[in-house]
Amino acid sequence: MKLSDVLETTKKEPHCGLCKIDFLGTSVCSAGKKHGFVAYWPEGRMELARALAEKEVEPTETLREIVNSCNLCGICDRQCYFVTQRRPTQAQHALQDYLKSLPPAALKPTPEDDIVKELRAIVGDNFATNDPIIIASYQRSIIKQKSSGKFYIVMPKTTEEIIAIINVANAHKIPYLPRGNGTFFGVVLQTLLAEPATIEQGIIIDLWRMKGIEIDPVSITATIEPGVTSFELQKAAHTHKLRANVAEAESCVCANAQNLGIITTWSNTYGWGTDNFIDAEYIDSTGTIQHLSDKDIPNPYASEQGLLSLSLIPSVIVTKLTLKLHQILPDEEAIFVPFNNLPDALDLAHELAQRNIGVSLAVLSRKYLTEFISPTHEIAEDFNYIAEKYLKLNYVVDIICDSYTKKIVEELAPVSFGSEMIKSLILGSSKLASMKDSSLLKMISEEEDPLKAVFGGPMRKHFEKGLANSPKELVKGMDEDLRDFFEKLYSKPELTDPIWLHNFRILPCRMERKHMWMYRGGYMPGDKKTILKVVDALEKPAQQYHIDGAFGFLSYLERGKLAHLEYDYYYDHTDPEARKRVNKAIVESWRRQFAIKGVTPLEFICSKGLHRKEHIIYPLLPGLSEEELGHFEELIETLFGGEDTW
Amino acid sequence: MVKFLSQEWAEQAKKKVLTELDKAKDLKNMNAALLNVVQNIPPDNKTIYYYVKFTGGNLEELTTGSDEAIKQKPADFIVTGDYTTFIQINNGQLSSAMALLKNRVKMTGNKMKALSITKPIDNYNNCIKGIQTEY
Repeated sequence: MKLSDVLETTKKEPHCGLCKIDFLGTSVCSAGKKHGFVAYWPEGRMELARALAEKEVEPTETLREIVNSCNLCGICDRQCYFVTQRRPTQAQHALQDYLKSLPPAALKPTPEDDIVKELRAIVGDNFATNDPIIIASYQRSIIKQKSSGKFYIVMPKTTEEIIAIINVANAHKIPYLPRGNGTFFGVVLQTLLAEPATIEQGIIIDLWRMKGIEIDPVSITATIEPGVTSFELQKAAHTHKLRANVAEAESCVCANAQNLGIITTWSNTYGWGTDNFIDAEYIDSTGTIQHLSDKDIPNPYASEQGLLSLSLIPSVIVTKLTLKLHQILPDEEAIFVPFNNLPDALDLAHELAQRNIGVSLAVLSRKYLTEFISPTHEIAEDFNYIAEKYLKLNYVVDIICDSYTKKIVEELAPVSFGSEMIKSLILGSSKLASMKDSSLLKMISEEEDPLKAVFGGPMRKHFEKGLANSPKELVKGMDEDLRDFFEKLYSKPELTDPIWLHNFRILPCRMERKHMWMYRGGYMPGDKKTILKVVDALEKPAQQYHIDGAFGFLSYLERGKLAHLEYDYYYDHTDPEARKRVNKAIVESWRRQFAIKGVTPLEFICSKGLHRKEHIIYPLLPGLSEEELGHFEELIETLFGGEDTW
Repeated sequence: MVKFLSQEWAEQAKKKVLTELDKAKDLKNMNAALLNVVQNIPPDNKTIYYYVKFTGGNLEELTTGSDEAIKQKPADFIVTGDYTTFIQINNGQLSSAMALLKNRVKMTGNKMKALSITKPIDNYNNCIKGIQTEY
């Protein structure tokens, strides 16, 4: 197999980083676990295969070590297929054949320089490198593609080692940048935000080795190191029957707290920003260690706000974070309220938020619902089509609550469904997809209220029966050699349990199966009028630049006073024209959002450190005047050049 | 060839701006005074202050030096950063706005006013980068 044979797959590798987490109970890549550098993990092998195919890097002796470290156990295929339907072993086969085709003299050693020697003296010989092959595997997930700068990768194990690394960087006057799991960079680096989000040369501090987790069940807190992912923290918390409020499974919790303030569907009750954590240890740019609990530190919460506050590079490295955990109620239940339009969904969700109903509460789009719960993208597309055309299911108010509040929700909701229906929809999704344009669906669509007919009326039984849900049925459309594994996997109760799925969040990366995406949206007042204006401000640029845009989810915060909205632009990041269009749409969406009073686009929340949300959101931005918007356009041109250069 | 931030460099910069930039078109008749604090200048990590003042788009003052008196001059904005960053800004590798985004410089002052002078300051930087400079 040639590298070019797998280029279509490797080019589209989204760098979600889920292959580094044992989220399916398969264990993880043994080579990655042993060596640590991204090059040894499935995502890195894919990137390396692409970079070699596109002749962006010359092979070095390390390539042999990387290729030979894989035993083709197939764990990565199971993990990656579950999320993105890719098969990393294909890239490994291509790398093996490529290596065989090279004459022995083609693999050159990488000369060491003083900086890498200094870094090795800090972390040991195995965890610092200037090898171009390893550096190439970090492209598109923290280093810009085709970057000509000189880079080093270093993997510290302790806070003291990070301090020493910063001192090396400062002594040599080169920049440094910490990397959690690379998921944020995987998305941002494909856009015009690549330049401000990364460094053009310097030291990449890969924090993967810093995996310490301590749970204190008495104070109901967890203290973690920066390499700990959301999944790993949640798993540790669950062993104590506790829950962490964390982002998607693969994201590193410290980085997420620092960059985005941990915003989730659970934020309805657990809060966000500083609500999530109690103390932090962090290192500033001079290599000085500080703690949030120190009395003498400069105000750690002070933050820039507004248009000129865009800064995607963290000002400090968080090395320890003490987070609040939460008790899990014994009678939690999931309940879903389907809607055919957004305003009605917002009305219900806002009312619930105001009344503090729902430990977890969000408005989910049809796109998220169908993409997340379908095992393949093809099934998701059919499911999406059916939901829109026949079921008129466009939005879902998604609630996890106790048995008491469930009764209130059921009273307020015109129609609802629970865990059993979700299980049927997951396990029956392939069957449902095959029913596309069937007479049953046509009959349903002719009902006065199809949602009521399917989820609350007499047709519910027929519909559920029609789904014929079973793991065996579900896996029929999957790659043949993986069917046995997935049949067993989907037989596990947690894979169809909406509460488990909300806790562990292993499904969201499925939105990257077909194309890359770029999140839009941000924070805003919780009133319906503003939210609908923002949705329009995000929808219009997508239409203008012919991008597939879709509402993602909305969470209310602080009893409905504020809302956080995610709207996504989907595009083929390997197509230069599509990238240009998405960049134009990003800028246009900023312009439109800034014109609305009280709205702060998400990028302008990023990397504000361990801020208090009040410092960023309040006072609410006034909404820019035409003149200010004109200056904003000049700023964009200064930063990124004219549209034709994007 | 003149040494970056030296008196000779400042004089050449002033002359170039006055002769090459249009007060209205390029400098948008801006009224602003900026104090750049350039830190960690080799070999002994000293600091140089680089003060520039525009009135109605006219470059009224451009002064550099380590004299504390420069530091006391009235400024709308104070921009602080490393010598290496100011070299990148001066030779056009990095715009001052991008340096701010990348946390390479810190700025104090009215952000909305800063927004309004982004473009003229960029034009100013682009103009003076043409000076044959030794770093």
